[in-house]
Amino acid sequence: MMSAVRLKPLTWHPHIAPVELSEATQEQLDAMKVTPSSKKVSDYVRTLVHDPESYLARTVLFNAIMYVDGGLARPDRELGALAASIVNGCKYCAVVHARRHAELTKSDDLVTALYLDRPETLGPRDAAIYSFARRLSVTPSQATPDDIASLRAVGMDDIEIIDLIHAISIFGWANRLMHVLGHAESGA
Amino acid sequence: MIDAIDKAAGLSPDDALFNARRFRPEFVQGAELCRLSVLMPANDQGLAPALRVALARRMAALNADQALIADYAAQLAQLDPPEQLRALAEGERDLDEPLATIARHADLVTLTPNRAAASDIARLAEAGLNNPQIVALSELIAFVNFQTRVAAGLRLMRSA
Repeated sequence: MMSAVRLKPLTWHPHIAPVELSEATQEQLDAMKVTPSSKKVSDYVRTLVHDPESYLARTVLFNAIMYVDGGLARPDRELGALAASIVNGCKYCAVVHARRHAELTKSDDLVTALYLDRPETLGPRDAAIYSFARRLSVTPSQATPDDIASLRAVGMDDIEIIDLIHAISIFGWANRLMHVLGHAESGA
Repeated sequence: MIDAIDKAAGLSPDDALFNARRFRPEFVQGAELCRLSVLMPANDQGLAPALRVALARRMAALNADQALIADYAAQLAQLDPPEQLRALAEGERDLDEPLATIARHADLVTLTPNRAAASDIARLAEAGLNNPQIVALSELIAFVNFQTRVAAGLRLMRSA
């Protein structure tokens, strides 16, 4: 019996100076309003808003891919995000999406299996998603038609598979921002 | 309307997958707006469209995406790029600065993002890039790696 892994959130620190709110342009201020939780404007948001056009476009797409109603279940999207983050070496994203998966499923089992490197203990649906997500995240992609066949074999339809491809791919994007433009540390 | 991802994945309006993709209009439109924001933004931050398209061609090649290599090469040809940008697009490493440092960074982050470190961002700054340029470059690199994965996944769905 494995003891459960419970991850604590990490704190992200940028490698470059974020935009100071007092010095932000109107375009930057407008772009930052799109964030899902705008109680405090994070270092991450203030760093990426150096380029407000791409910040705004990506944030809208990211929120659609991760939160749109219907289609692929939320925990499965989080698993795609987590697997991509593991391959891409983004510890910060991995912890965020591992925790979200545990919250949504009210279980630490999947996170425990992945953090203890025991993917063979996953159920068939999680295993098919995890394997495909890892293989699609490598450059160049190592995913094959057999991966798609495995997803269909566990009952996923085309809409769900398209949702999954987007969840994995948007972390091919987000990981290349978070892990490249900053670093993660323990503690709040 | 056929967009850049349909073209890359080889989808036409007769395909079931073309229509399945439209079940998520926010993904289709969102990805297209993202493409415009990194390849031909209203404010290019001093990173010209020809440099951006040349980098996209280079990263499509690192992703072994034949359709996107051809697409970006065609877009680049229309911009009549100088020799240095042609070389950058083709994967050359022996380039003038700051192109050599920019190309090295695009290669590193595309192939082995897990190895990226603070020193890699410091190199970009030393090569003369300011913070908006560092962020705009990062978004472009990350976008192409998103686009190649969506295209690769859709192609697999067609063939599976």
